[in-house]
This record gives sequence, C-alpha cells and structure tokens, in this order.
Amino acid sequence: MTLMLLVLIPVIAALGVIGTPRQHVKWVALIATVINFLYSVILAYAFKGWGEGGFFFVKSFNWLESFGVSLGVGADSVSMLLVLLSTMLMPLCVWGSFSAIQTRVKEYYAWLLVIEAAMIGVFIARDLIFFYICFEFTLIPMYFLIALFGSNPMTRVRTATKFFIYTFTGSILTLAGLIYVAWACASQNAGVWTFDIGTLTAFAADGGLTAREQGWILLAMLAGFGVKIPLFPVHTWLPLAHTEAPTAGSVILAAVLLKLGTYGLYRFLLPIVPDAVITYGPAIAVLAIIGILYAALICWVQTDVKRLVAYSSVSHLGFCVLGLIALNPLGLQGSVLYMINHGLSTGALFFLIGMVYERYHTRDMNEMGGLARRMPVWSTFMVFFVLASVGLPGLNGFVSEFLCLIAAFTATPDNAAYPGVLGPWYAAIAGVGMIFAAMYLLIMVGKVVFGPLKEPRRHAHDHDVVTLPADLTAREIGVLAPLAVLCVVLGFQPGIVTSAMEPAIEETLAVYPERVLAVEEIQTAGAQSSSMTEVAIDG
Amino acid sequence: MMHTAMITPASWIVPFISGADDAHGHHGDHAARVIEAATAANNLGWAGLILWLPLLSLVLCGVCAARGVKSKLPAWITVASLAASFFVTVGLYMQYDAPVTIHLFEWFNLNWSGGSFIAPFALYVDRLTLLWMLFVTGLGTLIALYASEYMEHDVGKGYTRFFAGVSVFLFAMSALVMGDNLVMLYLGWEGVGFASYWLIGYYYTKPSAVAAAKKAFIVNRIGDLGLALGLYLIYHAFGTIQYDQLFQMFQDGSAAAITEKGGWSVSAIPFLLMLGAFGKSAQIPLYVWLPDAMEGPTPVSALIHAATMVTAGVYLLIRMFPVMELHSAALPTVAWVGGLTALLAATIGMAQFDIKRIMAYSTVSQLGYMFLGVGVMTTDAAAAHVFTHAFFKAVLFLTCGAIMHGFAGQLDLRKLSGLRHMPGWRIVSYTMGYACLCLVGFPFITSGFFSKDKIMAEAFVTQGPGFVVLGVIALLTALLTAYYTFRVFFRVCMGPKHYEPGDELHGDDPAHFHPHPPRIAINFVLITICLGAFLAIFAVHKFGFLPGGDKGYAWVKASVIGSTGANGVPHGHHGETAFFADPHKWMVLAASTVTIVGMLIAFYFHLANRKAADKLRASMLANPVTAVLPKAMENKWYVDEVYHAIIRAPLWVVGHACAVFDRYVIDGLLVDGTGRCPRFLARLFQPLQNGVLQSYAVSMAGGIGLVVLLVLLMPRLLEALNAVGGTGG
Amino acid sequence: MMSTLAMDAMSSVSLAHYLTTSAILFVIGLIGFLTRRNMIVMFLCTELMFQAAAIAMIAFGRFHLDVSGQVFVIFILTIAAAEAALALGLVVLLYRRRETLSAEAWSELREA
Repeated sequence: MTLMLLVLIPVIAALGVIGTPRQHVKWVALIATVINFLYSVILAYAFKGWGEGGFFFVKSFNWLESFGVSLGVGADSVSMLLVLLSTMLMPLCVWGSFSAIQTRVKEYYAWLLVIEAAMIGVFIARDLIFFYICFEFTLIPMYFLIALFGSNPMTRVRTATKFFIYTFTGSILTLAGLIYVAWACASQNAGVWTFDIGTLTAFAADGGLTAREQGWILLAMLAGFGVKIPLFPVHTWLPLAHTEAPTAGSVILAAVLLKLGTYGLYRFLLPIVPDAVITYGPAIAVLAIIGILYAALICWVQTDVKRLVAYSSVSHLGFCVLGLIALNPLGLQGSVLYMINHGLSTGALFFLIGMVYERYHTRDMNEMGGLARRMPVWSTFMVFFVLASVGLPGLNGFVSEFLCLIAAFTATPDNAAYPGVLGPWYAAIAGVGMIFAAMYLLIMVGKVVFGPLKEPRRHAHDHDVVTLPADLTAREIGVLAPLAVLCVVLGFQPGIVTSAMEPAIEETLAVYPERVLAVEEIQTAGAQSSSMTEVAIDG
Repeated sequence: MMHTAMITPASWIVPFISGADDAHGHHGDHAARVIEAATAANNLGWAGLILWLPLLSLVLCGVCAARGVKSKLPAWITVASLAASFFVTVGLYMQYDAPVTIHLFEWFNLNWSGGSFIAPFALYVDRLTLLWMLFVTGLGTLIALYASEYMEHDVGKGYTRFFAGVSVFLFAMSALVMGDNLVMLYLGWEGVGFASYWLIGYYYTKPSAVAAAKKAFIVNRIGDLGLALGLYLIYHAFGTIQYDQLFQMFQDGSAAAITEKGGWSVSAIPFLLMLGAFGKSAQIPLYVWLPDAMEGPTPVSALIHAATMVTAGVYLLIRMFPVMELHSAALPTVAWVGGLTALLAATIGMAQFDIKRIMAYSTVSQLGYMFLGVGVMTTDAAAAHVFTHAFFKAVLFLTCGAIMHGFAGQLDLRKLSGLRHMPGWRIVSYTMGYACLCLVGFPFITSGFFSKDKIMAEAFVTQGPGFVVLGVIALLTALLTAYYTFRVFFRVCMGPKHYEPGDELHGDDPAHFHPHPPRIAINFVLITICLGAFLAIFAVHKFGFLPGGDKGYAWVKASVIGSTGANGVPHGHHGETAFFADPHKWMVLAASTVTIVGMLIAFYFHLANRKAADKLRASMLANPVTAVLPKAMENKWYVDEVYHAIIRAPLWVVGHACAVFDRYVIDGLLVDGTGRCPRFLARLFQPLQNGVLQSYAVSMAGGIGLVVLLVLLMPRLLEALNAVGGTGG
Repeated sequence: MMSTLAMDAMSSVSLAHYLTTSAILFVIGLIGFLTRRNMIVMFLCTELMFQAAAIAMIAFGRFHLDVSGQVFVIFILTIAAAEAALALGLVVLLYRRRETLSAEAWSELREA
C-alpha cells in the first residue's frame, strides 16, 4: 500500500496515452482514472486514520539527500478526503469530455492525467519541496488546457499566460517563505537541512519562529495560497481562467485547484505561524468577508453564466477561509467539508454549463431562457445543484456553510475551549452573503431554466463530430448523478466526513487556545500601557 | 366571575361565552407554568413515518417523472402517503401523554474536547407539535385530493412535478414542526421556502410566476438569515440548540444566569428570531412576497400560503416563547408589527379586484392578528386563530380555485356575479359564504369569532406600550375585514347571474364558453374542510354547558399549555378594565357590532346598490385630493416600489460598480498594470537593440572597459569608502 | 612564486614584451572590428584578436613553465580553423542573399 502509486498511475497513463491510437485515447484515460479512483478507495478502506489523528501510509523515498530533500508521502484524514475528492472527480471529468473534445485528444487527456498526478501529489506530500513541485506542476497542464482548448481562440493564450504568471508569481513568494522556515530550522539544528513537513511543523510549534518572522512568512504564504483560493483582491485571474477553460478544466479548477490554496492554509499556515494567524486573523477574515459580498454583488450583474459561477466560487471560498480563521474545531471541520462540498456542487454546475455550451455555443443568459421546456433533465439537475450551492438544508452546501458561520460566530476571545479572534459581527456580515447567493443564483435559474423558451440557434459547427440530442444523454446523466447522490448523502450524513477528521483537526489546533490567550494578553497589556502613556501625557 | 354583578351590554352572553377554562385561576397568580422535561422515547420510531411518507411520495413521483407517467397516478400516490402520514399523526396523538424526543438518526454530531455541536435528526413531540401536525397533515391530505382534480389539465405535463412539490412541502413542514432542535427547524424552514419556490414557480413559462417564486425565496432568505443568526446566538449563549436542553435551562434557572451576563448578544436573540418569523409569516416589513405568491396554483395558495407554511412564524414564536421573553421589548414589538400588518393588509385588500389577491391580503392581515396575539401574551388565542384560520382560509382559497378552474382563470370580482344561481355552483357558494362568515368572525356560529375575539380582548387587557391602541386597531381591522370579505361574497356569489370567462381557455371558444362546475373531489374537500371550520369552534372554545375534558381547558389552549409556549397563556382574567368594563365581556358585543356593520356596508355597496360603489369610487377618483387614497390602496401603498427604490436599485448599482471596479481597477489597473511593469522597463532599454553589429561590439567593448576599470580602481574605491565611513562613524 | 629559472630564461625578452605585442595585436583587431563594415575584414579582425589571446597564453605558459598554455593554444587554433570555415561559409551565404558584404545590410533582430 503506497500513496505514491496514486501519483504514478496517472503519470504512466499519460505516457501511455501518447502512444495510443487516437480513437482509443479517451478510453485509456477513463480506465486509468477509474483505476486510480478504485485504488484510492482501497487505500481509504485500509486507511487507519479515520477518526484518528496523525499521518498514515508514511513513506520516504530518497531523492536529494545532501539537501535534505526527499519524496516523502503520507496522509492524514484531511488529505485522504481531498485525495478521494480528486480521484472521484477525475473519471467524471474525463467522461464528461468525451463529446466536447474532438481535436488534439492525446494532448488533452495526457494533460488531464498529469494534472491529476500533480493534485494528488500536493495532498499526499510530506516533504516541502515535493509539495511545492506538485503545487506548481498543476499550473503547466492547466496552462495547456486553457491555451489549447479554451473557448475563445482569440484570447485563450493570453488568459492562460495571465493565469500562469499570476499564480506562479504568488507561489514563488510562498516558496521563499517556506524555504525560510526550513533555513531557520536548519540553522537551529546545526545546519542539517530538512524539508520534512512534520519536522518543520514541530519546529514552529515549539516557538522556533519569532512573531516578526511569522508575520513575514504569513504574508509570503498568503501570496501563494491566497491567490490560489482566491482571496479578495487577488482573485481576478479566476473568472478569466474559469470562463476560458474547457469544461473539465473549469471543473478541476473549481473543485480541486482552488482547494490547494485552502489546503495550504490548513497544512502550513495554521501550524507554522500560529502567532501571526492570531494577530492577522481578523484581517484575513475581513478580506474573506469582502470577497464574499463583493463577488456576490458582481455575480448579480453577470450575464455570462460561467463567469457568474466563477465569481460565486470567490464568494463561496470566502466562507471556507472564514471557517479556517475561526480557529476552532467547528470551523476547521466546516471548512474542510466546505472544500469537498464546493467541489461537488460547483464542479457539477460547471459540467452543466458545459453541457449547454456544447449544444448552443453560448453562455449568455440573455440569449437563452426557459430551457426547462427543452431540457427537463438538465434543468432538474441545474436547479438541484444551484440549491446545493445556495445552501439549502438537506443538501451538502448547507452543512458546511452553517458550520463555518457558526464557528466564526462563536470564535470570540471568551470562548472557553477554543478562544478565537473573530466574533458575531464577522458571521453576521458574512451571512448576508447567503441572501446574495440566493439572489444571483435564483436570478440565473429564473432566466436560463424558467421563463418563456428562448433558444439560441443551434450552431452546426464543422468540427462538431458528435451531434447531441436536445436533452442530456445517458453519459451526461452518468457524470452528474454521482455528484448529486453525494450532495444528498453529505447533506444528511455530514458525520461521515466530520467525525473522520475530528482528531486530526484538533491536533492541528492544539497549539492555538493558549497562544490566543497569550497574544491577547500582550495586546491588552499593550493597550493598557499605551492608554497609561496617554494619561501621563495628559497629566 | 361568571355571574358578575357588572351590568354590561354583553352580560346576557356571558354564560354562553365564558367557558370553563375561564373558571380556572382567577387568582391573579403569575407563577410561570412548568415546561415538562421530555423523555427519550425509543419505542416511537414509527413516528418518523410522518416525515418519511411524504419523502417516499417524492421519490415515487420522481420515478413517475422518469417513466413519463401520463395518468393521475402521482396524485394518488401523494394523497395516499399524506393520508397515511395523517393517520400516523393521529396514532401519535392517541399515544401521547408527556413530551418525548424521538431519535431518528445522527445529523450534526460534532464533539471536541471542551464542547460539542449536536443536532440529531430527531423529533420533539409535545402538545403544540401535535396540534400543528394534525392540521398540517390533515389539510395537506385534503388539499392534495382537491388538487388531483384541480390540476387535471396538466396530467402528463406538470402534474407529477406539482405533486412532488407538495410532497417536498409536507416533508419540510413536518420537519419544521416536529424537529427536536433549531437546526431541524431551520431545515424545515428553508425546506418549506424551497417548496414554496417550487410551487409558486409551477407555471414556469410565465415570467410573473418565476419572478414571484424568486421574490418569495429571496425575501424569505432575509428572514432566514435572522433565524440563522438567532440560532447562532442561542448556541453561543446557551451552548445547545436542542429544545429540551434549552428549555430545561430556562426551568432550572441556569438560563437566567447566562442571560444576566449576556449583554446584547442575548437580548438580540428574540429580535432575530422575530425577523425569521416575519419573513415566513409575511409580516411588515417582509410581507411583500405573499400576495405575489398567488401566481402559484390555487391548491398551493390554500395549503402553503394560507393554512400551513405561513403559520410557521407563529409556531416559532410560541415554541420559543421563553426565549422571546429575553428582552422586554421583544413581545411588544411583535404585537405592534402584527397589529399594523393586520391593518395595512386589510386596507390594501379593500381595494383589490382579484379575489385571490384579496384573500392573500386577508391572510397577511389575519397573520397579523396571530402575531398580535403572541405579542400580547396570548399564545393560546394565537394558536387558536392559526387553527381556525387554517380551515376557513383553506376553504376560501379552494373556492377561489374552483371558480378560477371553472371560469377559465377568471378572478376579477367585477366580472363574476350570482354564482349561487348557477347549476353546480351551489356547494362552492355556500361553503364560501360560511368561510367568509368565519373570516369576519360572525358571532357564535363561526370558529373565527372565538379565536379572534380572544386576541382582541387580550390586547385591551395585557399591560404593554400602547396595547389599548392596538386593540382599537384590531377592532378597526375587523370592520375592514368584514367589509372586504363580504365585498367578495356579495359580488361573486350573490346578485344577478353574469360572467365573463378568463384567458385560460384551454382551447375553448370564448364566445360559447360554459363554466365547468367542480366535480366530486373538489366538492367533497370543500364540504369536509368547511365542516372542520365549524367543528373547530369546539376546539378553540370551552362551552360552559359542555362536559369538560382536557383538564378543563379548550383543546387548543390545553395544547399550548402543554408545550414550551405555556408561559404565554394568560392566567385567566386579570380583572383589568378598559373603557369601564372587562374587555373579555364587552368584546363580544364590540366585535359582533363592527363585524355586522362591516357586512352591512358591504351589503349596501356590493349587493343592494352596486352602482353606488362605482359612483363613490368614480367621484373619489375624480377629485385629485381624494383620489390619492383609493389609488394608493389599490397600488398596495407603493411598498414594492419603495423597496425597489431603496434596496434593490442601490444594490444593483453597487453590483455594477463592483463589476466595473473589478474589471478596470483591480484587474485592469493593479493586475495588468503590474504585468506591464517589466515591459515598460524593457522599453527604456529598447533603443540599444538597434540591429547594428558594430554598436553591439562597441557596447561590448565599452562594457569590458568598464569592468576592467572597476577591477583596477576597486581597491582605491574601497579605501575611500572606508575613510568616509570611518570619519562618519 | 616566480622561479629564478624563468627569470633567467626571459632576461632578454621579458614577459612584458610578449604581453605588449599581444595587447597591440588585440587592439588592432578590436579597432578593425569596430570600424570596418566588410564582413570578411571583420572576421579577419576577430581572428587577430584570437591570435592576440593565443600569444598571451603561450607567453604565460612559458613564464609559468606550464604546458597547459600551449595546449589551449592548440585547441584555439583548431577551433578557429573550424570556425573560420563555418564563418566564411556563412559570409558567402549572406553575400548571395544581399549581393553585398556590408554588415549593415543585416539588422533583422533590431528592436528599436
């Protein structure tokens, strides 16, 4: 049982795809992703970390020993859940692309497989350099997916370049910050370098970094992870990239790549720079809240359906960050659950938009309407996933949104078990996002699904080898149905996720309660002394 | 007290009206009633069927939709499962003797060292739950039966979708009422909102229906946010959101300690819950969605927007009554909002022509009465009014629906007349007539009289800011109610025979149009519910001459006393007087008088002399000063327009501003601007790249020269620098 | 570090002489390269600079009694010969394209 195989299977399949005849490529890719999914299920079955803290399947392969770099892998329950999310979505992405991709099929499926390997690598890495390589390597396949298969041939290369440079610039700074941590650890440890994440985390937990250092490292991490999430105001690459990317690209981008950012916060930011998180937590939360409301308002005036859903991701991920910064078990569990739920519902929404786009070659809300009449099955799924996204109780989105908000709400300094740095106002203002979400999504549904039928002319493009029927095909239903089932299951049984990761979450949070109190004491003492100086000056 | 010496004009009524429940506790003791602790009942798992049966019906409807069933099968499935659900409720009622919790499965179960957040999927059953569930499932079944005939035009088209929506609604409503904690309540709360969205938007090709559905969901979401925040605050303050634990904290006094040091975060709770209730139950300022919700099929209006869902707000306030008392201003706020909503909606209802819309405003107005009842600490009367209103308003909507169904969508009361004389319309006319009497509170023979009367009387009795004014407002509203209700009845059912068909002809020729009178299912349902409306009298009032059961209280009152809302039930008479006498006594006369006066006005203008009404309206409209009133009333006091101007329009502008800001400032200026920096720098050096080989060579040579010079001069430079540094230091 | 043997051997013609020759040769080549436009002449000038470097290396090699200087020079000569063949071939090619040997005829890569 090794996690490394999860990375190797797609890589080998990607190489295999290149040597496969054109007409079989998609099947090879599908089989490979399904095998990888099944393998991850077997791993999950054998996994000892459900309901336990700590890392399992830990293994380290030698790589650059003299620099302390190794190919270390291992998974805790949070990693394992995200791995399962990725492996589960990939077969759907491949299957969902069968009709849409008719040109350059080999490149397309090869890049999809490579991106799968990179994503999984991020989640299972236990070595900083390995993590970073995988983190960056997700960009290259995505660059090609957008640049070669983007919807608008005039702008797609520019979009892809912008996406690449934007996210790359941010993550280079993150690398600098992480290397600084490794350097600080090495200099304390007689110059012996190590990039093992566990060692570095332990080093930081023991107070190896001063508050000042932590502040800078926090900034460096936010530069990379914040862009990826994306946090306001570094979010503008996302609507562009999402809108341009082919359907499967958007799905992967929304469902998994954005989660790399929040996962980064969970895995590195929280354990490595606790003091800085406590100090700057409110500021991050404010950015998240601005993102929630600002993006929601922008959604409201969009006419491009895909762009609307893209902006809604900015809004949704704000809740996710808010949950993380709440610094209590409710919030972290809610946040990780949010990562999964957002992957399911927003991923499905992108699939649905892609299916309409394949038929009408437009995404403009003003050009289409009343599709419920023409595509009842599609409309049913659309309304379903919109409701999941809006956070209707009984579906998955509700649970995570609810937990994130209640966590932020109760994250007050006087909270007994887990004092926090937020409070009711943060949650109350973020909660307005719930209303906005209902507004923009229902307006979209009202225009596209309901109302009098307005159909754009169906373009008979020359390259449309496959002609699709008016409503969804069995294959398309097959892509959406698993997601819908999961939405309901997680809506009624969130416990299967939350209780599985609870101990791991508490381990991550172990350092916080006393640190929060300590930092607050310093701050109140500072405030008192400054007020005393004022008194003295007045006197 | 029954043989009071005080001579009031109503004293002859007293033996009749003053019930055995009033014979209790005239001692003026205000000791809090005990909320019984619930026990976990493991043997009552079958009660979960009340929720699962509608869900099963939903699944089966889904199967029908997938198989493309083109018969009335979905209706029968739904009716059967709802009926079964009703009988399970009755069975539960038979079994009941004390509050129980019934655990179905784990839902939210988050534990960590030092805390937990637990909200199981469980049921909390006390008398209040049963009261609500009995009429929800009972009326749900009957109205589904009605709809099986009403919706028959859509068999094979939207028929399945409709009944699936009804099933979703019943599931969500049951979860709302029966839930054991606030998260379950919230699940049901949003669930019924969604079902409402689904069913209002049933005719989805009609833009107005889509807009109404959207509006209902979004306005409700505002209320939902209030409820959610209230829930968070409750969890924050009390550490639990399970009813039983929460209310036991109020019983054993541990809540009081929390409340004392809680500050604003505790006193805000009742106001946030209230906001949720106002949204769901269509009160000021969130009532605007309900009249528009009439875009849905009429059975939906009857079931969701009159009888059951809209009373969820009242249920919430009664259920959370101890929490509502956390701030002294909370209940008076509820009372005032309720009273003002009742008046406002009644004034709008007076000036509408669409009979369904009149009924919608009347619902808002009656809901206002219920909130008034809760606000003046009369939860039993509020619940009684919910109960009676559910029946008679359902009948009113269903008769409207029958008319709409029979006259091709005609709902304008100016274009229908003399329904009573048309063949096949007699049952509709008489049930409508009786329901109208109930709505206006016609004395003694209608259930509405007893429930409304208690609320109005208690408004005069209970001490509170301006409650006497509220009582007067309530009386005035009763007058208006009598007028607008009988305006509908006298116009539509009485008078000379006359009709014009509406525009939903389904292919009929308008010139040879014949109304389709309702058939067996609709007539049966009308009679049954009408009978229920009559029998409700005995549920809401305890007659002195009838043998007492149920601990000497009327059934509804006993239900509320046996629930968490017990503290809102007044302890008998307070002995107060208002206007020289005990309002409990003279209210009978006052209410009867205003009702009959209102009916007489309606009689004059809309039956005896219809021309007078038209003339009066014409003369008022002719004068620009007096024209303001009817115009404003007809246009709903322009509230929708005001909301549009102060909320939606500014937000729309802000949305566009954000979009522009995002595109041109954040992305354009900051992101692309940063991206252009390297190119801008490169442009500075571009002239060097002139393509002339020699110039490259010169720069190369020059560069080498420079390097050489630097190497040669470096030691000296360093020396000089050191010297400067040395002197500086 | 200078050994006496070396000092003796170069008593008449010292290292400085060789280096001066080399420098003069280099500068001539450089000036020629910078001032002439004829590609063949420019190429010859680069060869001059090459040889200047070679002289310097031999001189140093002898001075340090180290053969690696001479080894380098042999390499340089070989490569210079190969490179001369290539370069002249290219020049012929360029001449055929534009019918001129002037370097100014070629400025495709200019930016300004």
